[in-house]
Amino acid sequence: MSWTTIARSAIGTRHQEQQLPCQDSTTVRVLGEVAIGAVADGAGSAAYADVGAKLAVETTLQYLSRTEVWLQRRQFSWSTLPDFPPVDLLHRLFSKAVQRTRQALHRQAQATDSTLDDFACTLLLFLATPYWLAAMQIGDGFIVVRSPYQSYQLLFQPDKGEFANQTSFVTSPDAIATLQVRLWADTPSFICAATDGVERVAIRFRDWTAFPPFFQPLEAYLEAASPPGPDESYLVDFLTSDRLNARTDDDKTLLLCRYQPSP
Amino acid sequence: MPVGLPEFVDNPENRCPVILLLDTSSSMTGEPIQALTQGLQVFREEVQQDTKAALSVEVAIVSFGPVQLLQDFVTIEQFNPPPLVAEGYTPMGEAINFALDLLEGRKEIYKANGIQYYRPWLFLITDGAPTDSWQAAAARIREGEANRKFCFFAVAVAGADMETLRQIAPPERPPIQLTGLQFQPLFVWLSTSMKRVSSAKVGEAVALPPVGWGQITT
Repeated sequence: MSWTTIARSAIGTRHQEQQLPCQDSTTVRVLGEVAIGAVADGAGSAAYADVGAKLAVETTLQYLSRTEVWLQRRQFSWSTLPDFPPVDLLHRLFSKAVQRTRQALHRQAQATDSTLDDFACTLLLFLATPYWLAAMQIGDGFIVVRSPYQSYQLLFQPDKGEFANQTSFVTSPDAIATLQVRLWADTPSFICAATDGVERVAIRFRDWTAFPPFFQPLEAYLEAASPPGPDESYLVDFLTSDRLNARTDDDKTLLLCRYQPSP
Repeated sequence: MPVGLPEFVDNPENRCPVILLLDTSSSMTGEPIQALTQGLQVFREEVQQDTKAALSVEVAIVSFGPVQLLQDFVTIEQFNPPPLVAEGYTPMGEAINFALDLLEGRKEIYKANGIQYYRPWLFLITDGAPTDSWQAAAARIREGEANRKFCFFAVAVAGADMETLRQIAPPERPPIQLTGLQFQPLFVWLSTSMKRVSSAKVGEAVALPPVGWGQITT
């Protein structure tokens, strides 16, 4: 198996106390040599943040997966492109995915007599092949990538306003205009996407760099996994640990991928 | 081989700066200045009860009478409410300008050290009318508010020039008339608000507690 993946969310202690649901959502899927992942964090101020985050993850993952399925039916794949995909193509691809999400959220809002803002959430997406990774970010949270023999790199600078409690959402009027897209033109040996609940312990704010001692054990955890996949208890135990809860009272999500070339 | 656990980076806490702009002109002599001094103690005690707020809230005090930096920014742990002495005129314009400059300086320090911060609060308490030119300061307040740079609150103690205060305070947050000398409930309210701000989730609009200690005058 070329990709080893796992994605889990855990409720924060604050939402637990307030008897609110976990407002993070995440999924990762492998199609042949392509790994596709999504992470969303529902806005605390939105009435149906949990529904919004879940719908955003499902809709975008389905959309991106369909592009790969469509290619595979024609004996192609995102992983068999002769060259890196042009960034403007990726921009269109992710814009489309976000548009679909907004439409899905809009339908949900109409069906439940609520507003689009009631489903506000951030969104991180990536599509990874053995040769490159394309990623998108709206709002906060982070994606960290490592290529063979390289160090951990933070893919996007944080999308924050001046103050600590500001960010942008999929439901913002300018979401499509402001979404950030990046092509990582190297093998993504390790990928970690996370919501901002994990940010404080994994990213050094002074210069916005990934903190290697946070990521190394997570990578070793995937490396030690054998089919059918990693033992989820390690990740779930970590996400629900008192040690982590002492540092954040927010919902927490980690999506992890490791690429190992087939022998 | 057993897999270890992720280690955590030590990032500084988010900061929640608040500047108290206190009128200590001679008209505050006696009971008002004593009540205000006690109010500061209450503020300290209330914030300290909340673990998260105690780490986040940073307070500075600018007093006028003569404009003075009575207390530069400190966390609640280090905050020992200074004694207040009532004397002099009411140079409110100068005091506001001084506080805004102080705030800018603080933001620079935060930025240089990678410290995230919440929208700062400026909290003006006065019982008089400005004895200096205040129009330029009022313009800075309104511009800063419009750009969401900070939140400005004006609290009027009996005798305050409400007409001028209304022109200084932003239109969306008119001055509040303090009931009697209810400084204690005022500072309990301020500390509760600071607790809410400092535990706010990303993107969350903070609902402030109801103002039980005064009247909002539009």
